[in-house]
Amino acid sequence: MDKKNMKTMTAKDLQHVSAGARIMGILVKIVTYAFLITMALVVLFPFYWMIISSLKSEVEYRATIPTFWPQQFIWGNYGQAFKDGNLLQLFKNTAYVGIVSTFLSLVITVLSAFAFARLEFKGKDALFAALLATMMIPGELFTITNYITVNRLGWLNSFEALIIPFLVSVFYIYLLKQNFMQIPNELYLAAKVDGTSDIKYLWKVMIPLALPTLISITILKMMGAWNSYIWPKLVANREDMWLVTNGLRNAFTTAEGQANYPVQMAAVAIVSAPLFMVFLFLRKYIMAGVSRSGIKG
Amino acid sequence: MVESKHQWKAWLYLAPAIILLLVFTVWPIINTVAMAFQNGYNALAAKRGASFDIGIQNFIDVLGYGSFLKNLLNTMLLCVATVPLSTMLALLIAVALNSIKPMQKFLQTIFFLPYVTNSIAIGMVFAAMFNIIGLRGGGSMADTWGIVNNFLMLLGFEPINWINQGSDYWANIVVMVVYIVWNALPFKILILLGGLQSINKQYYDAARVDGTARRRVLTRITVPLLSPMLAYVIITGFIGGFKEYSSIVGIFGETMGPPAAAGRLNTMVGFIYDSLATSSQGKASAAALILFGIILVVTMINLQVSKKRVHY
Amino acid sequence: MKVVLQNLTKIFPSRDKKAGGEVVAVNDFTFEIPDGKLIGLLGPSGCGKSTTLYMISGLQKPTSGKIFFGEDDVTTLATESRGIGLVFQNYALYPHMTVKQNILFPLENLKGKDKLTKTEMQERALEVAKLVQIDELMDRKPSELSGGQQQRVAIARALVKMPRVLLLDEPLSNLDARLRLQTREEIRRIQKETGITTIFVTHDQEEAMSISDMIVVMKLGVLQQIGKPQDVYDDPVNLFVAKFLGTPPINVLEGRIANGKICVGDAAIGEAAGVEDQDIYIGIRPEGFELDANGALECKLSNVEVMGRDVSIVSTHEASLNPVIRSIIDADNKIDLSAETVRFNIKPHKLFVFNKETEKRIYW
Repeated sequence: MDKKNMKTMTAKDLQHVSAGARIMGILVKIVTYAFLITMALVVLFPFYWMIISSLKSEVEYRATIPTFWPQQFIWGNYGQAFKDGNLLQLFKNTAYVGIVSTFLSLVITVLSAFAFARLEFKGKDALFAALLATMMIPGELFTITNYITVNRLGWLNSFEALIIPFLVSVFYIYLLKQNFMQIPNELYLAAKVDGTSDIKYLWKVMIPLALPTLISITILKMMGAWNSYIWPKLVANREDMWLVTNGLRNAFTTAEGQANYPVQMAAVAIVSAPLFMVFLFLRKYIMAGVSRSGIKG
Repeated sequence: MVESKHQWKAWLYLAPAIILLLVFTVWPIINTVAMAFQNGYNALAAKRGASFDIGIQNFIDVLGYGSFLKNLLNTMLLCVATVPLSTMLALLIAVALNSIKPMQKFLQTIFFLPYVTNSIAIGMVFAAMFNIIGLRGGGSMADTWGIVNNFLMLLGFEPINWINQGSDYWANIVVMVVYIVWNALPFKILILLGGLQSINKQYYDAARVDGTARRRVLTRITVPLLSPMLAYVIITGFIGGFKEYSSIVGIFGETMGPPAAAGRLNTMVGFIYDSLATSSQGKASAAALILFGIILVVTMINLQVSKKRVHY
Repeated sequence: MKVVLQNLTKIFPSRDKKAGGEVVAVNDFTFEIPDGKLIGLLGPSGCGKSTTLYMISGLQKPTSGKIFFGEDDVTTLATESRGIGLVFQNYALYPHMTVKQNILFPLENLKGKDKLTKTEMQERALEVAKLVQIDELMDRKPSELSGGQQQRVAIARALVKMPRVLLLDEPLSNLDARLRLQTREEIRRIQKETGITTIFVTHDQEEAMSISDMIVVMKLGVLQQIGKPQDVYDDPVNLFVAKFLGTPPINVLEGRIANGKICVGDAAIGEAAGVEDQDIYIGIRPEGFELDANGALECKLSNVEVMGRDVSIVSTHEASLNPVIRSIIDADNKIDLSAETVRFNIKPHKLFVFNKETEKRIYW
């Protein structure tokens, strides 16, 4: 009897504890959301500041007491940024480099991945291992010699120099090969029996099935062209060959703080916009590609 | 028969990749090593037919430069400060994100945004946020103190000269750390959240049955089960950190430092490019090999540590 | 600890969100599990057995109804306060901890007056490890253990807190056939030794029948029957329970009741005095057949399988719902293999009659 009473007591005690735990749970939820939202605001703040600054007048921008919403929207900043930064030329160059290098890179990657995934030849495994080994070496090691090579080839200040040295990515070949290998070999053999050519098979079967990977590669490659800075700076010192990043950093930086900051922010916003658009529409592919690759474009 | 036909076909498909890799990847590796061990190698002179002694003078010279050691120190400082900070922050955000349902996708998208930016362009925005314009009155008055200082002043602190002429080295470093962490978060959050979501929910049910406290669940279950992902983001974080360059260009411009203190924040990679500009390819190669060596050693140490710490 | 479920109901929103609606996973369960027994929750997948188990554990909250442990209402109590041990289907052993650390983990969580000293914990862990016979494996990681050993570790981890109730979710489903037999005996032994009320979930009727003190048969969220395994087998309340229990399964024939007789076609195979005429299903256990040259039920002989002590006669009948009728008789009986047909008498207590519409048992 006594024992039973005791048990009831503990159960009630426990009930109390569990009510406390529930309040604790709600508190944890509140703290969690507060933390996340604060961090999200910190992450977003530079973007917000970029946009409102780009719309302010120079006087307002220099105001001692900052304004968090432009008193007057100076849309002209954008036009001026376009003109001052010669952004049209930069966009053209970057788009050309991005599109051509992405296209050629895809062709090379698809052909190589197909050879590794579906064809049998002597030394396949050794060759593939050798390719993977090159991934461990930092790109800075290649730059010095590649600069000399490009110079000898007479490619300085040419699109060849901006495009050709980076066409092959071992990582993309690896990624696509893995993807191709998941496609059952029977499909290939069946196509052979029907007398389908390799190229037709690739085009009709493998490429559609590997499309998500190809889209990821395309986006990452485009982002790479959009964000590249060091190599173009080395091989293209003529202004008409600059890519956006080089042009942006040089056009709006003066040695002694006399820049028109709202116009500079407008230029930054213009340059950032295309990537944002692509991200909004193709978020899924970008995030999937990044989580598998771990490379910053 | 089919086999031999495939042989030449395979090589045909591989030809473009192999040729390009031979020219732009394999040859550079050989040539970089070769240049590094020719004392005072200079490509222009080499083209004119000059020859160089074989030796390790390039390495001795590079290590003897005060600027190299300073650049190495800058690089290490940024690495040591940013990798733990960004990893911890990313872990907290990922765990928090994983524990909520409403708004999860939305917040996840926001946290990924810094990834799809141009590190030079947004660097300029950060510079603007820290920039003081129109300083006068012996430094007591300014047109604008910059939004960061505005916040500090709102909280009752003195404004700090972050990046302008006469700014303190450590103030510069703080700005760089803030920017690099901001930039490094999205990738780490993405990887860690992916890892968290692949942990079997039953471990958490089991922990609940045993009445495990929240903090204990985090330290004894989540973090150990996440350890392979943590090791991955830490290793890639260090590798990226040792190659830091363009984020500094983003904030300080190609002078790699505030006005009148140019080059103060230069890094290893910056040193390599500066050597190129003076056409001392031998020294640049030696520096690149040293960078490679350091990255290799740091990665090895990381792997060794994680072998003991990373579970299964 | 006695466990009582009172009108327990669990409703999930339907998975197909556009169609809306909801799924009743557990519908109005009321039953009592006596103290210190081993109980099997039995049913095909989707019958709500796992949901019931998770509601008892507190990991899922019931939509309505109550759960009592002894006299305590634990319905709203948090999982960790219920004093239960739970063994997961795939064990959920922490892969980064050794066997010992896994077993110690629940003890290290204890707070307040329940807190144990280091040595007490070690003693307790060793004690349960000995009980489940894994004390030799204490320093291994789960990945270094066989499936059966992992199962034992999971049971040890659940037992180390000395739970009031032990719950096992499909404890044998991840083991191979040989281990399954061995492990179920093991579970029986451990339960006997500890005397802890133990509830386990299974879809395998043989497993449930062989070790349970009591079985609870469910179908589509509705409780069908509860009782000792032999009682349920001998006295099923409806066609579903009759079909679900027994290997080989029960033979089902279409028939009708006419003038108090149970008829298959024209043949009267049994009496059902006082039951009004109607169409019925007839269930006959394989062991309910007796070979008799003048027997009432005539079947076409297909073949005979000799299994040593017993003989299994495989025959067909046009009224049978199963493709074949399987009967098990003593091997002493002589069967004429060349005959076209075979005739049986049916043992009355192995024959069950069910209403054709409701599939409920008809008693008389």
